[in-house]
Amino acid sequence: MPSTLVRVLIADDHPVVRVGLRNMLQADPLINVVGEARDGVEALDLARSLHPDILLLDLAMPNVAGMEALREMTSGGLNTRTIVLTGLIDNRQILEALQLGARAVVLKDAVVEHLSECIHAVMQGQYWLEGRPVQNLVQVLRDLTVKTTPPPRKTFGLTARELEVVTLITEGCTNKDIARQFGISEETVKRHLTNIFNKLGVGNRLELALFALNHNLLPATEGK
Amino acid sequence: MGAQCHERQRLMPVNESTLAPLVFDQLQQAMAGDPAGFTELYHDYLADAWQALRTLGDAVRQQQAEEVRAKAHHLKGSSMVLGARAVAQCASALEEMGRSADIRTAGAMLEQTRLALLAVQAELSTRLGVGVLPANDTAA
Repeated sequence: MPSTLVRVLIADDHPVVRVGLRNMLQADPLINVVGEARDGVEALDLARSLHPDILLLDLAMPNVAGMEALREMTSGGLNTRTIVLTGLIDNRQILEALQLGARAVVLKDAVVEHLSECIHAVMQGQYWLEGRPVQNLVQVLRDLTVKTTPPPRKTFGLTARELEVVTLITEGCTNKDIARQFGISEETVKRHLTNIFNKLGVGNRLELALFALNHNLLPATEGK
Repeated sequence: MGAQCHERQRLMPVNESTLAPLVFDQLQQAMAGDPAGFTELYHDYLADAWQALRTLGDAVRQQQAEEVRAKAHHLKGSSMVLGARAVAQCASALEEMGRSADIRTAGAMLEQTRLALLAVQAELSTRLGVGVLPANDTAA
């Protein structure tokens, strides 16, 4: 059972959210809300001056966004433990938040249900994700890393040059464009295409483009 | 008024599709010592939500996708925390439309959001009395 008073700083740009969180947390006799911040800059300033045990940090705030504030918190050597509050978060952001030092992620529609328990778990040294304490952080990080790493590009026996040709075909380039880009003759491009068609079992450029899209044959692109 | 509200709460379960009962009940329990403050919290939520809806309407008419995203995100956050899940879902859909800069169907979603908010307001009015209603010029 937790026994010490936990000092909490709330950082969210929405006043109704701050009031709701404050009132909810104040019902817990072991939690003391010591401050409220309306944006990332204020969150950092108050964290430095108040030294709270816990910072409840909204990810989408004006001025300094939550992830940037988290980065500055960590690099600033503050002992405050950060719990990320968010409406929606993907695996990549969870991984980034954990790497930047967050101890927990709580969805906003679960704060009434979980936040108090989460705060006490974090104070006891635990991490908290998906509505429960994390039992094995290394495994969680490994899983998140796997989920956020794009699968390896398949080659189906194509050479590096043939893969480059496939990429350009899917971008709508003509044989002439490809020849110009690689500094080779159109005849050579045609030979590459014939080899590609034979290896993949496709009959034309459209089938090739569809095959490439459906079989992860194209190089990975940056996500949003 | 507060005692009457508590009496009503025992007799009438929260409409789950409108307002998450767990959230409403736990918040009310947490603020049991300040029933007026509890009503004020939901009053402020409704006033802010109607204002957000008006801003969203302007943004949709003026094809300002980024404003749609930002205001929908704002509405989503408070709706999630206070248990107005249908409103939060609509706001989330609007936020995604704004993010993808495709707000062609935002008008229809805005209407769904308005209906969801009206349902929340009706539920809150039943539960907490007319004191929870924002001023006349804000709602619907």
